[in-house]
Amino acid sequence: MSRHNSTSRKLKLIAFLGWTGHHAGSWRHPSSNPNAGLDIDHHIAEAQEAERALFDAVFIADGDGWKSGTKLEPFTQLSAVAVHTSHIGLINTVGTVYNDPYSLARYFASLDLISGGRAGWNVVTGAHSAAEQFTRGGHPSHADRYEAANEFVEVVKQLWASWDEGAFVADKQRGILIDPARVNEINFRGRHYQVRGPLDLPPSPQGHTVIVQAGSSEPGKELAARTAELVFTAQQTLPAAQEFYRDLKGRLARYGRSRDDLFITPGFAPLIGETEAEARDLEHELNSYVDTRRALDLLSERFTVNLNDYPIDGPVPLDKAKSADDFDNVKSRQDVVLDPARREGFTIRQLLYRANGGHGHVTHTGTPLQIADFIDKWFNSNAVDGFVIEPPLLPQQFRLFVDKVIPELQNRGLFRTAYEGTTLRRNLGLRGTLPLAKAA
Amino acid sequence: MSISHTPRQLHFNTFLYLTGHHDSAWRIEGNHPERRIDIDYMVDIARISERGLFDAIFAADIEGGPSKWLEPFTLLAYLAVKTRHIGLIATVNTTYNEPFHLARRLASLDHISKGRAGWNIVTSGAEGAVNYSNKRVAPHDERYDIADEYLDVVTQLWDSWEEGAVINDKAAGIRYDESKIHEINHTGKYYTVRGPLNVSRPPQGRPVLVQSGSSDRGKDYAAKWAEAIFTAQHEINEAREFYNDVNARLDKFDRPPGSLKILPGLCFILGRTEAEANERHEELASHLDLAAFTANLSRRFSVDLSDYPLDKPLVLENPKQADQVDQVRSRHQLVLDLIRREKLSIRRLAERHALGRGHASFVGSATQLADLIEEWFVKGAADGFNLMPGVFPQDLQLFVDYVVPELQRRGLFRTSYEARSDGRNITLRERLGLRAPKPVRSFARAHAHGPGQSASAPSALSSPSISSSVPREAAPSVLATTHTT
Repeated sequence: MSRHNSTSRKLKLIAFLGWTGHHAGSWRHPSSNPNAGLDIDHHIAEAQEAERALFDAVFIADGDGWKSGTKLEPFTQLSAVAVHTSHIGLINTVGTVYNDPYSLARYFASLDLISGGRAGWNVVTGAHSAAEQFTRGGHPSHADRYEAANEFVEVVKQLWASWDEGAFVADKQRGILIDPARVNEINFRGRHYQVRGPLDLPPSPQGHTVIVQAGSSEPGKELAARTAELVFTAQQTLPAAQEFYRDLKGRLARYGRSRDDLFITPGFAPLIGETEAEARDLEHELNSYVDTRRALDLLSERFTVNLNDYPIDGPVPLDKAKSADDFDNVKSRQDVVLDPARREGFTIRQLLYRANGGHGHVTHTGTPLQIADFIDKWFNSNAVDGFVIEPPLLPQQFRLFVDKVIPELQNRGLFRTAYEGTTLRRNLGLRGTLPLAKAA
Repeated sequence: MSISHTPRQLHFNTFLYLTGHHDSAWRIEGNHPERRIDIDYMVDIARISERGLFDAIFAADIEGGPSKWLEPFTLLAYLAVKTRHIGLIATVNTTYNEPFHLARRLASLDHISKGRAGWNIVTSGAEGAVNYSNKRVAPHDERYDIADEYLDVVTQLWDSWEEGAVINDKAAGIRYDESKIHEINHTGKYYTVRGPLNVSRPPQGRPVLVQSGSSDRGKDYAAKWAEAIFTAQHEINEAREFYNDVNARLDKFDRPPGSLKILPGLCFILGRTEAEANERHEELASHLDLAAFTANLSRRFSVDLSDYPLDKPLVLENPKQADQVDQVRSRHQLVLDLIRREKLSIRRLAERHALGRGHASFVGSATQLADLIEEWFVKGAADGFNLMPGVFPQDLQLFVDYVVPELQRRGLFRTSYEARSDGRNITLRERLGLRAPKPVRSFARAHAHGPGQSASAPSALSSPSISSSVPREAAPSVLATTHTT
């Protein structure tokens, strides 16, 4: 029984997989494979499962640190995953501060060609700690990073657009391989980057790599409104998600863009059981695997005190929390983590468990039907265009989502029953071309 | 393992390059130049190479330049999944890549391919600067200083995770043995990198290091770091001189003979008969643009050749010399020597240049090519070749179908891919008969030397830029485990 006809608005679903799952205790669960990070066969199998379930894309969140686990480098990983998939998008996170626009444009153009038009770039600026790996005196400030990032993205887009259609002539008679008139220098001269171009690769079947953006701070939102086609964000409550949705969609007109040129998909970590009790049991089990002392050390970075010095079942010392402005890095996440504690009067243990479960993203524990209800409600409340699904435990929880939640969403007419095409852009329903700002 | 008991064997790579190494390859019937960026086409070439039991495929690159081919890491990671045995060598420039990114991508490719990754180290790249915010490209000799420190950083990063650092004990809740994961805290003249890498130790310990410079400084650099050299050598006497020169330098860096494989480029047009090969070559040559070639030649040597007869032996008056150019000096010298030695006309020089851009070139039958290869191999001019088929895939197929069996009959080339007794495939490093790398840092150095050797590295091995390292506690002797022969 379907409440919607087949042409109605459909959910965008991105699978955020990799390693053993999003719950901090997942690697100790008997069903998980803690060596999965380096195992390309594991990544391929997961992407294939997501493709069978008709997800729009798989997504890799990247970073330069090692404490989150030894893992493959995303460009090599996604290129290898492209071998055994044919429709699903491949979204990689790359920071602007410690990369170069020409290299990045080229990596994505190459991945995009290799995958037949399935690449997506999640634009982040970069983490503070990275400065120590890249011969830099220090990490630029939040404002400077975003200013440079705007320029960086502009260069990349111009490089992707530097080949006109049909530039590859291959005229054997006249000996003309590439028509030089259809491959254009961009001659970009900005404050941060000077790039002549053109890129050394033509566009892929999707035209250009899809641009994703994940910052939710003020300059992050502005960068997104100007350039992003898909936005990842952390929103803990429906009213907050509605406000973010209204705010960001409202900014698009300023850049000559329509509301359908950008889709918003917050992270969502559903914990699923056949029954509610089963789901709760798994949640408790996963929480029991977390090294409490160590996790509290980590969480204490958000406070001026160490939470290990406080009773774990006592109230969170919110008066000792740092303000969001103290965070130059991932500013928007501070409020996302602490707001539920403020709102719901959490104990330290509750805050810790919430942080373990979705590292700041909204979590929901329940049956497949309850999870589908949750998604349905947010999707139909002007709050989201879909979700980045972050299974707390892999592969078990993702399989439940695929087998139980996806069919329910399809029955309700909320999700596709077949891919619309073979490129990421086509499946997301995005236009074929990128909005290009005029060069500075 | 059996490979140490068989007589010395040839090594072959397929040098991926557009749709053929002859400049006119794309002009002939049946060649599809647009497929230079088609991954399925690259898969075909990799599979033919694997059918031929080659050691590796080699992806060239010119970052920021006009090359117009797939980026090597994305290309080779894809091919890694499509192949099982063959090595995957990526060209990556030290000028435009952070050592951390590069160490990470190579380690990742090594994990994905289960120990088949290699890195062709390139230091030049001035032509790319216009696309990299006019990044300064250091002059020739300083580039090698930078590259020296670069290698120091990259090898330290690969060593930053010891074997056995990943524990993943679910019951005890221990993921890593953090005493086996090391910050490198490198602070040098050109790079400051804390480490550790975020990829654990690559299966080969260290991806195979390849280098291709042929200048004096380049040869020293190769003798210090490289495990294979791709070089352009016109003819056997020059090649032998180069071979002896480079091998003689190994001792200076405390490296044993045989630890560096010399693989000259070899470009070829094959036919089932010599006549058929000549016919194919003539057709290719007929597409050459001699006017453009003459103009290039004039520019390169600062001599006006616009009125010079095309078929008269070329004599250059006061040509610009190699030491007056900054990029690829060795290639410049090669052309000068060729003109002088063989008294070529502009037309013949153009034909020669079109066939492999200054590498050794060959037109003829499979048996004749096998003869040439055998001669270079047994006379100490090469350990194998970086194969440059004139036209893809035809010349590669002909090589695999006719030259390989001939060399196998002569006992010069493997008849199957070697495997371990447990059935796992061997690594590229093992296939090339190379040793496990010596760990570069103090936290590993104690285990890097065999019995009877000094524990402190000889001075030639330490570059002046080695960082002020914090001494590390001794680690268990698990680092040098990929050495199996």
